[in-house]
Amino acid sequence: MARALWSGSISFGLVNVPVQLVSAARDQDLHFHQLHAEDKRRLEQRRVCSEEDVEVSWEEVGHGYDLDGKQVVLTDEELGAAEPRKTRTIDIDSFTPLEAIDPIYFDHPYFLVPAGDSEGTMRAYRLLVAVMDREGQVALGRFVMRTKEYLAAVRARDGALALTTMRFADEVRSAEQIASQGKKPAKRAVDNAIAIIEELSTAWEPTDYTDCYRKRLQRVVAKKRKGGKIAAPEQEREPEPAEDLMAALERTLKTVRDGGGAREARNAGGGASGDDLEELNREELYERAQREDIPGRSKMGKKDLIAALSR
Amino acid sequence: MPRSIWNGTITFGLAAVPIKLYSATESKSVSFHEVHLNDGARVEHKRVCPKHDREIPAEETVKGYEVAGGKYVVLEKDEIKAAAGDRGKVIHLEEFVDATAIDPVFFEKTYYAGPRDDSEPYRVLFEALRRSGRAGIGRFSFHDREYLVAARSLENVIGLHTMRFHDEVVTGDQLDLPGGGRKPARREIEMAEKLISMLEEEFDPRDHEDSYRDSVLELIKRKAAGEEIDLLADVEPEHGDDLAAALEASLASGSS
Repeated sequence: MARALWSGSISFGLVNVPVQLVSAARDQDLHFHQLHAEDKRRLEQRRVCSEEDVEVSWEEVGHGYDLDGKQVVLTDEELGAAEPRKTRTIDIDSFTPLEAIDPIYFDHPYFLVPAGDSEGTMRAYRLLVAVMDREGQVALGRFVMRTKEYLAAVRARDGALALTTMRFADEVRSAEQIASQGKKPAKRAVDNAIAIIEELSTAWEPTDYTDCYRKRLQRVVAKKRKGGKIAAPEQEREPEPAEDLMAALERTLKTVRDGGGAREARNAGGGASGDDLEELNREELYERAQREDIPGRSKMGKKDLIAALSR
Repeated sequence: MPRSIWNGTITFGLAAVPIKLYSATESKSVSFHEVHLNDGARVEHKRVCPKHDREIPAEETVKGYEVAGGKYVVLEKDEIKAAAGDRGKVIHLEEFVDATAIDPVFFEKTYYAGPRDDSEPYRVLFEALRRSGRAGIGRFSFHDREYLVAARSLENVIGLHTMRFHDEVVTGDQLDLPGGGRKPARREIEMAEKLISMLEEEFDPRDHEDSYRDSVLELIKRKAAGEEIDLLADVEPEHGDDLAAALEASLASGSS
């Protein structure tokens, strides 16, 4: 199981369940390390005292704060005394429907897993999962992890308690000054845009999207390892806004109504050719061929798919 | 006026929408710096080569990807950049989904996309997203990497969320929770549901304030005044075995 990032209790009324917090996000990134150019050795990060030039271990590190020009130092234990209860307990203060929370508030996803497998713990844990699942409600509570307090939304997901840390209201900036100050757009233009959106609508299916960046980076590494040369692809030019927005919307709508996807609609005006097909894998190419309904696609290899799609 | 962090264009079909991007969130927690407890001096982070045993300045470093134990493939900045793709400063909205159907675990970071030159296409796209309740899905290249993004109406601007990929999200069955055991009793579920409905509230983010920031600042001031900080023993709540009794007592204390 994943490493526990916090342990304590979740408290619902007088029911306390000992839990551990584990991340629900898995890091799939390719990680690069800093190397010394001369000998290709991986550099070590060292904590060094700025006065004594000695290495400082974790236990010797305190939290410094500049209070009106005077440094105040707190130890981990002293910091823990700021809000001892919240450091060990997630107190549920309210319940609210999930859809009432705008996604802008969501920060990092975690799971709460039961700490220990005693009968009492497991029963209380399962009860929380069962009722939250039935009610479609999320519990809101706060807790302190390391040196920060978090607002947290707890709900049932896949038969477990999922916790998402949230941003506080004052951590979300106002969008007021950014918003358009112009007049309301023409109704016909908006209606056309909505019709285009509806034509291009599909069910949200997370598995439809793969991290092409990760794949390309893996390919770059493999190529470099074999001594190959890597050139940056030419960047797509930013399209200019259409002279006649209404005409552009109408032409787009016609293309998508005739079964075209967003890509075809973009190219209907003979604009940029879009992304580089060479960079897609067969699976991705096949999906595009499916969308464009290219005959004989299931028997095509990567090369043929690219040829058919570029026509 | 807030400062923008990126300029680009969102497209849907032949409509091009010039935008400026802004951070939508900021962290407000009390920030500390690392201090050596022995002498109160600041702790510095140094990147040291283990062979030369000296600090290596940034210009003498390269980035490497480990392909085997201690063996690295060195990539230049431009080579890493090449993986970001060829989209440049364009976000093509390829398809649209019901914005409420996206589970919260997929949302990563939020930006505001504001209009550039306050253009008509921006207002049309914003209004269409708002009225349809849909989110446009596309790819976005930022700081030499590519993200999956969802564009939706948010307050009175277009919000752009970077999204996690499905294989970056842990599912419940990967947790190996202990199985078996007795299911919660009907009466326990009923009492818990009653407790939930008593605690039900309309969500207003302003109801939830970070009180820890103030507590920490208070603590800092006390310490600065030379006060001893009481290290309270851990207040571990009781984990009683009688679930039904705990629920009953919660209901009784809540309704009083």
